[in-house]
Amino acid sequence: MDDILDEMTSAQDLKKFEREYNITLLNGNLDPKVQFQYAWCLVRSKYSSDIYKGILLLKNLLDTSSMERRDCMYYLAIGHARIKEYNKALEYINLFSTTEPGNTQIEHLESLIRNKLREKRDRNGSLIAIAGITSLISIFLMKK
Amino acid sequence: MDQDDVLTILKILMIGETNVGKSSILLRFIEDEFNDTMQNTVGMDYKSKKITIDGNTVKLAIWDTAGQERFRTLTPNYYRDGQGAILVYDVTDRSTFTKLEMWLNELYTYCNKTDIVKMVVGNKIDLPDRQVSTAEGLQFARRHQTLYIESSAKTADGIKCCFEELVQKIIQTPGLWDSYAYKPFYTANGVSGPRNRTGRRGLKLTDDYEPDNSYSSCYCNLI
Ligand SMILES: Nc1nc2c(ncn2[C@@H]2O[C@H](COP(=O)(O)OP(=O)(O)OP(=O)(O)O)[C@@H](O)[C@H]2O)c(=O)[nH]1
Ligand SMILES: [Mg+2]
Repeated sequence: MDDILDEMTSAQDLKKFEREYNITLLNGNLDPKVQFQYAWCLVRSKYSSDIYKGILLLKNLLDTSSMERRDCMYYLAIGHARIKEYNKALEYINLFSTTEPGNTQIEHLESLIRNKLREKRDRNGSLIAIAGITSLISIFLMKK
Repeated sequence: MDQDDVLTILKILMIGETNVGKSSILLRFIEDEFNDTMQNTVGMDYKSKKITIDGNTVKLAIWDTAGQERFRTLTPNYYRDGQGAILVYDVTDRSTFTKLEMWLNELYTYCNKTDIVKMVVGNKIDLPDRQVSTAEGLQFARRHQTLYIESSAKTADGIKCCFEELVQKIIQTPGLWDSYAYKPFYTANGVSGPRNRTGRRGLKLTDDYEPDNSYSSCYCNLI
């Protein structure tokens, strides 16, 4: 494991917190704390579908509950970054930084995400370059 | 440095009440910085660092847990497979010292490695209004068979020592860790590394350390 984005929920934890969440859902007394714990597991899952679900739950908490906003924003940034939506992740980091400037944990996450974004751009850049060269060659060959 | 040079990867946990200085200790150790306005950790933070002790390089994977009450149900999920735990209290706040008992219990409950090496750290010794004496800290450490050190993340006192002592003790505990590379350890210039430190599971390592001395030897140099 190289950084916090590689960290993953164990299947065991995910099951445990999912069960708790479903019980409160069935009883009709949704507890924001239980929802947060479940979402926290989901955004750290290895499956994108779980991460998407976690993001929805966290967004819902951020908009409607009295849960600590910083907790939601931090894990929203993690969730988006883990499905490679780096710009979305940076939006939450900015939001976090407006209320809490100079937070070292957030600054560290931000530089991590910016590095990933740069890597992604470089990769895309070279893919485009390769595609360009390939089409030039095929045009050249066709003309022959 | 490439991972082949690393003897093993060790998982270290930082635990204790909120505001005792866990993240500050880590910031001092990793970046050699101090932040007067360090904010409370959200959930969990992770840092890694390579250190070389007695000619062996190990990679530390350090988990900095949030001490705030609302994270209490989340953090134990990280204890699994921990090989070292740094239990921090604030020497100017007795309640954080009293709570150590609870943190130790938590560790016993959730960490599957029974021989995990524990280091108790009394932090903020740069401050004048001390509430917990060195003798009390030492007594606690002796009773629970942990290492002990006092530190200040602000002045850097004891910080490096804390990690070095912990790692040394882990490496001396056979069966607690696995060699990262399944081959004898060689130093960079190709000469065989420190004697007998092949780092294989279960192999007793020879060294000049006194295994019975369960509290920090660095400690004496400090105070
Ligand atoms: N004077 C002094 N202040 C310190 C020291 N270590 C930490 N602090 C301050 O104590 C406060 C809390 O430090 P943190 O490192 O955030 O504490 P923490 O244990 O990580 O807290 P949580 O993340 O909430 O669990 C910050 O304002 C630090 O600047 C120290 O050795 N001396
Ligand atoms: Mg902290």
